[in-house]
Amino acid sequence: MQTRVQLPAAPTLSNEERDVLHDVGFDDMDARSGTSVLVDHEMRVAVSKDPGVEILPLAEALDTYDFVQDLMFGLASPEHDAHVATVAEHMHAPLGHFVWVKPGAKVRMPVQSFTLLETPQARQFTHDVTLIDEGAEVEMVSGSAAPPAVHRGRHISILECYQRPGSVCRSVSIDHWGAEMDVFSYGWSRLEAGARGLSTAVMLSPIRRSVSRSVSILEEGASAVSQAIVFAPEGTEREIFTETRLAGAGATSEDVARMVSSGGRILNDAVLIGDAGGTSGFLGRDGLKLADQGEIAAIPALRARAEGALLSHEASVGMIDGEKLAYLMASGMEEDAARDLIVQGFLSLEDDRLPEGVRRRVV
Amino acid sequence: MLETRSLSVAIGDKRILNGVDLTLPEGELHVLLGANGSGKSSLLAAIMGLPPFEVVEGEILFDGAPIQDLDVHERARLGIGLAYQRPPSLEGVRLRSFAAALGAEEALDREAAALDLTEFLGRDMNVGFSGGEIKRWEILKLRLQDPRLLLFDEPESGVDLEHVSAVGDAIRRAVAAPDRAGRVCSGLVITQTGLILDHVAADRAHIMKDGRILHSGDARALFAHVRDHGYTVPRAA
Repeated sequence: MQTRVQLPAAPTLSNEERDVLHDVGFDDMDARSGTSVLVDHEMRVAVSKDPGVEILPLAEALDTYDFVQDLMFGLASPEHDAHVATVAEHMHAPLGHFVWVKPGAKVRMPVQSFTLLETPQARQFTHDVTLIDEGAEVEMVSGSAAPPAVHRGRHISILECYQRPGSVCRSVSIDHWGAEMDVFSYGWSRLEAGARGLSTAVMLSPIRRSVSRSVSILEEGASAVSQAIVFAPEGTEREIFTETRLAGAGATSEDVARMVSSGGRILNDAVLIGDAGGTSGFLGRDGLKLADQGEIAAIPALRARAEGALLSHEASVGMIDGEKLAYLMASGMEEDAARDLIVQGFLSLEDDRLPEGVRRRVV
Repeated sequence: MLETRSLSVAIGDKRILNGVDLTLPEGELHVLLGANGSGKSSLLAAIMGLPPFEVVEGEILFDGAPIQDLDVHERARLGIGLAYQRPPSLEGVRLRSFAAALGAEEALDREAAALDLTEFLGRDMNVGFSGGEIKRWEILKLRLQDPRLLLFDEPESGVDLEHVSAVGDAIRRAVAAPDRAGRVCSGLVITQTGLILDHVAADRAHIMKDGRILHSGDARALFAHVRDHGYTVPRAA
């Protein structure tokens, strides 16, 4: 594997590991407030450089802080389904991190966390717990990856994220698994009164099957803005299920997904639930179909359970507009280059929320 | 530089242009006059090779060589550029990315400053642009592409009167300046209002009607005739 000239500094990781992780957002540990890296079944790095951030292996956090046992499976049920139950069976020795952003901490540099599956055909079950305490503000970058030589394997992950009142979390997650892997990701998050979450999920690499399920609960005055960028080449199947519950008065959410299939299958099933009055939410699902093969299924659903819940959605699936293609080609671009530019624009790959390294790789 | 010979163009089974003969010598700027639906924009689109316009008869010659069978990007690379009247919006495609895809990143800041478009560079192409901004961007786009034959489709439409002079001056400069290889440029401009004629020194005008060139002559004299008599053939003096 070719090694980049400037790899992020991380003494406990090999050059190849850093190279692989760099593609999913890993940066120099000195430029991060905290870093956690899980490699196969080992928590290789759990370091904080900011007094406002604590990062521990989850098993150690359970021993260190009593309250962590209440956070673990505090949002998720161990009996949710067979995959979650599989992870729960390892509760005696949980594999994953505990990230705690302390009350009132305004964390200057991002916190980064990564999972790497290095052993072919390995089975990896992880459970991460994140607590962003009252009034804290943090930016988080997380990534999951397998080296190019690792095609097959199975990964199941659970993430439980607690945002206490008034906290702010901006997050970006990127996955780049092996092309023949099966990955099941579960995420639960609770945003308490006045908390704000801004998240971007990037799912662009080929993968045999990826199933992602997430549930977000927004309490009084909480707000969430999320966007997902999804690409499925031929041979890739991605299923994404999201549930957003506007549970408290004044909660707001905006959840947008942009999906491109060049022969793969994408199912995006989203439900927005207004459980309280004075809430508002929007679901946007846009798809671009580049080939006859494959499928894009966008299923946005609204469920209003309280008077005064204002919910809306928009969904579209189409092909590349011939007029846009001709417009770019009339400047001298070949058709493939013009298509690439349109698709990159559609996927918002120039979004400033993406780390520069990630943007360079995928653009 | 450009010549159309007995050019007929159709969209599907419908003829849009019928036997158009037009000659645009190197270094000259011509204007096309005509009512809506007369075929002016179709002629520019056919020269550029845009779909769905198909040449069914005749030839388009650029530097003496036929180009009607070339793809649109091949014509652009030969040195033909078109400033659209109503370009499509490209959400998510930043102007800088477009310039990078053309290999014109270095020219971008300089050309943008000349057109007072520096603050645009972080924006998506044609998304939320005003009428005047679209026209200035289309001229900037041509500057990045660096064509020798510059085609302008109604560059003054949708532009405030006070900004028509800026657009006109930009067109004049774009056509008058040689390309980056030092070659002489030519321009073909569609105008409905004729306002642009106050700012560009047009060598010749052509009146189009029903997909044909009805008459060609001195630009200012012909526009004065159109103003008084409509799109008709002037009587011989």
